[in-house]
Amino acid sequence: MISFPSLEFFQALQARMREKQELFQRLGYFDTTFGVRVLDNGGAHSFILGFEVFENVRVEQVGAIEQAEVDFVLEGPLGVWREMLDNIRRNRGADAAHSLNTLTHFGESLRSVYLDPDAHDKMYRFAESIQQYFNLAAEVDLA
Amino acid sequence: MAYLSTTDFIEDKDFLDKWRYTMRTGELDLSWMNEDRQVEPCTPKQPRRGLTLRDLDVPGYGFTEMPEIARRNRSFAPRGAEIPAGCPDLQADVNRKSEVWAYNVEGYYEEAMTRQWNATTDVPWQEIVSAEIPEDVNRAYAQLLTFLSEVEMIATDVPAKWLGHLNADFFEVKNFIATQAMDEARHMEVFRKRALATGHGLLRASAQNETNLKFLRDADGFAEMSLALHLQAEGNVLTLFRFSEYISPTEADKKMFRLVMQDEARHVGYGMQHLKWVLDHFPEKREIVHKHLDEAENFLFGAGYATEVTEPFIMLAGKGLTQECIRKGIEITLKFQLQQIEEYFERLERCGMPERREKSRLWQIVEMTKAAQAEMAAAAQPAG
Repeated sequence: MISFPSLEFFQALQARMREKQELFQRLGYFDTTFGVRVLDNGGAHSFILGFEVFENVRVEQVGAIEQAEVDFVLEGPLGVWREMLDNIRRNRGADAAHSLNTLTHFGESLRSVYLDPDAHDKMYRFAESIQQYFNLAAEVDLA
Repeated sequence: MAYLSTTDFIEDKDFLDKWRYTMRTGELDLSWMNEDRQVEPCTPKQPRRGLTLRDLDVPGYGFTEMPEIARRNRSFAPRGAEIPAGCPDLQADVNRKSEVWAYNVEGYYEEAMTRQWNATTDVPWQEIVSAEIPEDVNRAYAQLLTFLSEVEMIATDVPAKWLGHLNADFFEVKNFIATQAMDEARHMEVFRKRALATGHGLLRASAQNETNLKFLRDADGFAEMSLALHLQAEGNVLTLFRFSEYISPTEADKKMFRLVMQDEARHVGYGMQHLKWVLDHFPEKREIVHKHLDEAENFLFGAGYATEVTEPFIMLAGKGLTQECIRKGIEITLKFQLQQIEEYFERLERCGMPERREKSRLWQIVEMTKAAQAEMAAAAQPAG
């Protein structure tokens, strides 16, 4: 079983994405690097995920995310992330209340942090690919 | 038929004699083989990506070395080919690179090509048909979809109209706006299908909306059109699609809005990178850009705040027509409208126009919206 948040979790998503190449190729070029910041008890678990062409080419756990290094950072409390992932696992994909756009839209559950609005727009240029990427959690044995 | 050939080929003795002679003797002309247009064979720099337009950016053929004014090619000769005497002037009226170019336009085109989706089969229509949605919410949704279908028809026509006006040397831009026309046609298709799938059909077209958006189609120049369409209008619509995904009644609808927002964000990207190109290379155009934005903001405000647009949003956001639902819906819709304006100014700042925030009259809308929010908050406080 894999814990969240952990490097192992995102490596598992990377492996699932490789298995679902046909889906991600069908969705098209997926070219963005973004951060995930899970806020937990006053601290944060931070990860950088890089996507290029049709693949997840970078999975890295970092002490802190340099904002300029990424297009945007998805940030939120552990409880919200966990609720999203549990929802994905229960429904084999996020339901209407738990899509990434829904959770980040007004920044009340999760929020998208960015320096450059053009880079931030990659969250929307690749919206379905990003949602399908997180939906891969349905196939990860989460602790 | 506007154009008639200057030669009646079937009756032209010289043309026919030459053709017959060639077929009878096998003596080919072959003068075209003497053209020296050699190039190192272009290969994919990133094999996983395939052979892209960026891989073709080589001396003699590429976009980097294109001059500001396309004087040489007035025909459909592909850029880099030898242009013999006799090629007609096809009278493209947009011949300045600064009118059309954007950083990464070739990248946006390639992205568009790989990210095309199918409105018929990529939306889970069976889930939508079986979803149970309250009657008044469903009706409000049908009105929103009516508005979106209307907007997308205008958005299809506008880039398509300009295709034939651009010099053939700017084919990366022509190809990109061809993909945009396809994207917008697909958006109109999916919104129409979704509206008819509600069972309420299409409700009211918006006179205010159409009158205000007509200016996009009637822009005097490509750059003026692009500023108003790609950067401003589509920037607002991108926020609108994200809001629509947020308030969507089903998972299938959310997928539909995610697919459309992908295309929209790409169009906005082109608009931003075009403005950056213009301001980087022709800073003297700054005041002209401000003047275009003055009028574009006026029109967009009128279109976006039409009754047929705002009221469905309020009902969908509040999830109904009770007083409490409307109050909640107004609260959420006001937040969305502020977000639209804020993101618009953020984009302009990123393009190199931070001063637009002060010059624009949209701040008046911001003040009105914040005042409305404050009044609502005060009214919600318990008495005493």
